[in-house]
Amino acid sequence: MPFDQKHIRNFSIIAHIDHGKSTLADRILELTGTVEKRQLKEQMLDSMDLERERGITIKLNAVTVSYKAKDGQEYIYNLIDTPGHVDFSYEVSRSLAACEGALLVVDATQGVQAQTLANVYLAVDNDLMVLPVINKVDLPSARPDYVKKEIEDRIGIDCSDASLVSAKTGLGVPDVLEAIAKDIPAPEGDPKAPLQALIFDSYYDSYRGVVVLIRVKNGSVKVGDKILLMHSKKVYEVTEVGIRTPNEVKTGSLECGEVGYLTATIKDIKDVFPGETITLSETPAKEPLPGYRRINPMVYCGLYPSDSKKYEDLKEALEKLSLNDASLVYQPETSQALGFGFRCGFLGLLHMDVVQERLEREYNLDLILTAPSVIYEIEMTDHSVIKLDNPSKMPEPTKIKEIREPYVSASIMTPSEFVGPIMELCQEKRGIYTDLQYFDDTRQIVKYDLPLSEIIYSFFDRLKSCTKGYASLDYEFASYRKSDLAKMDILLNGEAVDALSSIVYKPQAYNRGIAIVSKLKDIIPRQQFSVPVQAAINGKVVARADIKAVRKDVLAKCYGGDISRKKKLLEAQKRGKKRMKSVGSVEVPQEAFMSVLSIGDDID
Amino acid sequence: MKPSSLYVHIPFCSSICAYCDFCKLLYRKEFAFPYVEELLKEVEGKAKGLSFHTIYVGGGTPTCLEDPLFEKVLAFLSPYLERNGEFTIEANPESLSKEKLLIAKRFGVNRISMGLESSSEKRLKEMGRGHTYEEAKKAFALAKEMGFSNLNADLIYGLPDETLEELDKDIDALLALDVPHLSTYSLTVNEGTLFYNKKIKEADDNDAADQYELILKRFREAGYLRYEVSNFARPGFESQHNLTYWHDEEYVGCGLGASGYQDEVHYTNTRNLTKYLKGEYLDSQEEEGEQDRLEYYFLTNLRLAEGFALEEFEKRFGFSFLAKYQKEVDSLIKDGLLLLEQKRVKPTDKGILLLDRILLTLFK
Repeated sequence: MPFDQKHIRNFSIIAHIDHGKSTLADRILELTGTVEKRQLKEQMLDSMDLERERGITIKLNAVTVSYKAKDGQEYIYNLIDTPGHVDFSYEVSRSLAACEGALLVVDATQGVQAQTLANVYLAVDNDLMVLPVINKVDLPSARPDYVKKEIEDRIGIDCSDASLVSAKTGLGVPDVLEAIAKDIPAPEGDPKAPLQALIFDSYYDSYRGVVVLIRVKNGSVKVGDKILLMHSKKVYEVTEVGIRTPNEVKTGSLECGEVGYLTATIKDIKDVFPGETITLSETPAKEPLPGYRRINPMVYCGLYPSDSKKYEDLKEALEKLSLNDASLVYQPETSQALGFGFRCGFLGLLHMDVVQERLEREYNLDLILTAPSVIYEIEMTDHSVIKLDNPSKMPEPTKIKEIREPYVSASIMTPSEFVGPIMELCQEKRGIYTDLQYFDDTRQIVKYDLPLSEIIYSFFDRLKSCTKGYASLDYEFASYRKSDLAKMDILLNGEAVDALSSIVYKPQAYNRGIAIVSKLKDIIPRQQFSVPVQAAINGKVVARADIKAVRKDVLAKCYGGDISRKKKLLEAQKRGKKRMKSVGSVEVPQEAFMSVLSIGDDID
Repeated sequence: MKPSSLYVHIPFCSSICAYCDFCKLLYRKEFAFPYVEELLKEVEGKAKGLSFHTIYVGGGTPTCLEDPLFEKVLAFLSPYLERNGEFTIEANPESLSKEKLLIAKRFGVNRISMGLESSSEKRLKEMGRGHTYEEAKKAFALAKEMGFSNLNADLIYGLPDETLEELDKDIDALLALDVPHLSTYSLTVNEGTLFYNKKIKEADDNDAADQYELILKRFREAGYLRYEVSNFARPGFESQHNLTYWHDEEYVGCGLGASGYQDEVHYTNTRNLTKYLKGEYLDSQEEEGEQDRLEYYFLTNLRLAEGFALEEFEKRFGFSFLAKYQKEVDSLIKDGLLLLEQKRVKPTDKGILLLDRILLTLFK
């Protein structure tokens, strides 16, 4: 491919979840002839099985395509896909840092949503050229003019040239391709300056070591170059560079403005992190590129192998996964009940879910997760402050001056008719009302400050159900606030099980205790002896349920064919038993540790 | 080792009981004739050169066959029985006529097993049984009169909302039959039965355990020994045929849906009559390794009150039971589920009811 910096366009696509971002990407690949239609799997850039199954984009992914524009020139388009869910805004900010422009996809039937606003503001912050694309104009309920006006009024982006498309049928997509060449600026940067390349993603390959995805901001890089990682100060020799189309194509070099991949036999994955700058070791750049805004994990949980012999496997899997998922953090911890494992931090519950599934599928692990927790700030009587990410590590109550919990500012965009139910829900979830604005004639934005811990317990599902799916939610961390909180211990057979501890809002502790013990009573299989399940706060039992002992499990009749059937049943039970943890003398199934999560709504 | 037991299945019944999940078909003459033809062909092939210490004709209801066909089956099987062997037929009170008993007698049948199931008219109706308690009582009396002394009666407990008082009456009625062998089964509700479709629930294990304990107490007082989870006998009247299963010994199985165990392989016949009549008997068989053989051994032998002898185990598997299972045995003994006594491994009274727990510990 001939290199001409003026003919490179680096852009990403931003959209609210389900507004058709991945479908538009598919269409672009098809129309540029990058992928033939018969090879096109739905949502090509969603390379993980998990992404295709759930129809969501989790990982950003980059692809290079060539496009011959109407001006007769050949362009190189680097498309960087972005995730649409609120949990993954960090990934969005990373991909935006590698671009000069963004396509803003808005569903013509739904209009601007809370998440759209959040992502557009990120793009504008990054000085990107934003091109509006109104999608799904082929649907009978499409209101393209209305949506255009909405984008102009609410976001302040000129929509007179907005592309009207149907990503599904391909209608209007050629205009989008033209607009990219015409309106998105070519990358700036000095091809003769010392190399500065931004790492925006990486993954591990067992043959080549770490593969990094880079955007060359200044200079160029080629095979054989000695490169320096500016933060970790490590030097490597480049073994391979190329572009992804989406299959990897070796090019031998990457020039100023280009996006592609690079390998350099980097074996230690800790040496590389997204946001790192690559330069040449002999002629280094003066300073690294500005790093990304690093978003801290909001939710923590314990992650343990069901089979304690798999601890090392889990450690290795986490190392590799965190390379591919910069927002995942983890450190070793030990639980009396679950043995050796890790405390992991996530951007949100969806992220946690995705990490669990990826570990189980891609690394063939069987995991136990403890209920997620936010990070609490605990001010001790000696005025020192502790950050607590694991409820079981809560200090003695007598030494605590106050406990503070994280609050988020939540914006909920909703049709006006649901404002009432939403406010009720927010009140129930201990929200503090901050604002209510009209967005347009029919929609309003409800703003509340809410404890993050309430949001992670089923808030989103409740919101969807009380608004028939019409409300959209966006939130960001606001501040820590003092709260009336206490640690609730769960005792099985009289012994506290550290992995089941949680931090609760005291005025709701009694109800929550009842809900948890009755849930556990149903989940934990009956044992040979009766097992009391108790919830206690500061050593005082607030709720109790008993798991009755099993007295009879034998099959009454066992002749001839019954024998083989019984053997099969027992073997199935034996397999089920292997997925349980022995806590003291009680066999506890995996899901018990997460059960605290699903009972949030049983509380009146 | 050559199998020394033969099971023969007659799948026909004149009515279908609400709880029954055995392989059964409503009796129809035009099916019964070709079926018996094919069945005897299967027996001939599988039993070639063998003779049996026990033969068991079960069902279904063997006595629902018309007399000539019934006679044909017994006449065919009779020569395969060893001297002093046990020859059992299953029967229903309503179809055990004097004629049937005469035929049975002529061909060497010496044990009859019959379902009483309950003494309450209401319960019998609920279960879809075709007889009353009085009719059952008469059938047992008739069998005795005709010289059959080795008789078994079945009882089902754990029926929907059954009380201990109700069960106590059933026990009285059962003991009044004065037969040397009794079997009691707690109701299990399996898919494909009327009870299942009616969403009838099995008794909670706590209630079932109370009922079982009442049965155990009353039967023991009446001089019956529990030799297996659900089986009780006066000394010397244990079912030799069923002991084959619980000793994990091989046996030949013939007939629709029947199971067998030969050359270290468990097999099950088809439940499809059309296939069966074409001579395609086999439905499935298992590949078995040592772990499977161990599991089968425990699963069967530990149902017996006397369990198994350490010496027997070692002879069969070539290693010492305790050497391999010391840790598990210690914990089971500690939990009061297992006993080591006179070089035998036995379940305790508590353990026999929690056999699944014992087995899951041993199936490591």
